[in-house]
Amino acid sequence: MLKVNNISVRYPGGERDALSNVNVSLIEGDFVCILGKSGSGKSTFIRCINGLQKTTRGEVLWNNTSLSTLADKQLMTVRREIGMIFQHFNLIPRLTVFQNVLTGTFGYRSTFKNLVGWFSREEIKRAKQIIADVELTDQINRRVEQLSGGQKQRVGIARAMLQNPKVFLGDEPVSSLDPGTSNRIFTLLQKMHNRHNLLTIINVHNVELAKLFATRIIALKDGEVIFDGLPEAFTEQEFHQTYHSTSVKTKVL
Amino acid sequence: MWFKRKNIISISLLVFFLFFSAKLTEFDLSKFKDFQNMIDFLSQWFPMDYSKLPHMLQDSLETLAMAFLGSFLGLLIALPISFIAARNTAPSSYLYYFSRVALSFIRSIPEIVFGLILLTAIGLGPFPATLAIMFHNVGVLGKLISELIEATDPGPQEAMKAVGAKSGFANLFGILPQIWPNVLSHYFYRFEVAIRTSLILGFIGGGGIGQRLFNDFKTFQYSSVALDVLIVMVIVIIVDIVGSKVRNNVI
Repeated sequence: MLKVNNISVRYPGGERDALSNVNVSLIEGDFVCILGKSGSGKSTFIRCINGLQKTTRGEVLWNNTSLSTLADKQLMTVRREIGMIFQHFNLIPRLTVFQNVLTGTFGYRSTFKNLVGWFSREEIKRAKQIIADVELTDQINRRVEQLSGGQKQRVGIARAMLQNPKVFLGDEPVSSLDPGTSNRIFTLLQKMHNRHNLLTIINVHNVELAKLFATRIIALKDGEVIFDGLPEAFTEQEFHQTYHSTSVKTKVL
Repeated sequence: MWFKRKNIISISLLVFFLFFSAKLTEFDLSKFKDFQNMIDFLSQWFPMDYSKLPHMLQDSLETLAMAFLGSFLGLLIALPISFIAARNTAPSSYLYYFSRVALSFIRSIPEIVFGLILLTAIGLGPFPATLAIMFHNVGVLGKLISELIEATDPGPQEAMKAVGAKSGFANLFGILPQIWPNVLSHYFYRFEVAIRTSLILGFIGGGGIGQRLFNDFKTFQYSSVALDVLIVMVIVIIVDIVGSKVRNNVI
């Protein structure tokens, strides 16, 4: 379904690759957590999957089509099937919960319809249903900047779910939330994941959460995959390798 | 202890420039020995002459209309240009630099020069004054709004790209809600400035209360001048109050 084929990314002016030669195959039903220190390439990896970040070498294949060969218009049709949530939520300020969730339909509609804000009865019904799913019905007409962090992230999830996604990406979605809220967000993500049989890929700093929810863990270090396997296999030793010791290999590079 | 040598040099330079500027501007308080003249002059302003009040109010309305139309058209034109003149939304770096330079160029021309040039083409009246205000405001608001755009959080735009919106639309939708209150704030300030500018443009035949003020002055009708000035003050204060009300409602 999604094949990450030997990708490398180097930022302009960067001294080394932010991602180097990453190979991963992902299928629907996978709940993948990406672990790694800050600067290990987690965010870069996630952002390559929906083309927010261009790869320097290699390609991301989505149902056997390479993202890097797509024109802007085709990239948009790929992106609308990939929901994404962010660390800082990235909601549109000054709009209500309902308005923010409705922006999830933008990839499927004409720019004119988006601009005037004309939504079909079906779209409105679905948006309300999804807002009920994330338990925000009582906040539906509040402006998003008045919400708590956990509520904001649930708006983000609702916006992404309205896209009818096949893939769900999370770029450190719980890094600015407290542990209890993080757990509830992950539970919600898992519920959505199972209900729609998604491919879910999430960056996370909290190893406990990853082991609790993931069906597969990928650990990155200095832009390279150093672990890819079942959560049970991610032991103390892998933890240490991911977060502490410096590998000889990167020094040689 | 508090003053390093660098500070002392800066202060001496500052003092030098103060004296130099005073010299050039013939700044001399002893000239106020004829202060009595000014009091005599101002005493002629009172009592105010209310006989022409209806005409004055009509002219004030014209002034308000000039300032509003000029600054608002300026805002309408400046908004799309400012997206081209902002580094993060410019379609190309060539267009970015071109629009930046164009905005600076327009901004550097005072309204009165625009007014004098336009007079030759379309004659006297409020129309050239309105256009002059519009042109200058395109330059000023274009610069201010493009700076607001550059200071926005890129997160919402990124989210809009991620849902599959077109990138131009994603920029618009991600940025406008963020900058809107500040745009209004800048706009109302420029509206207020435009009122004062339209007075000056009245001096060169731009119509409105400014022209009436100028004509009353030239014909020594100081009791009317007093009322003109009072009306101008009231207008500026009202616009300021309305502006802050609107801004508070938007934020």
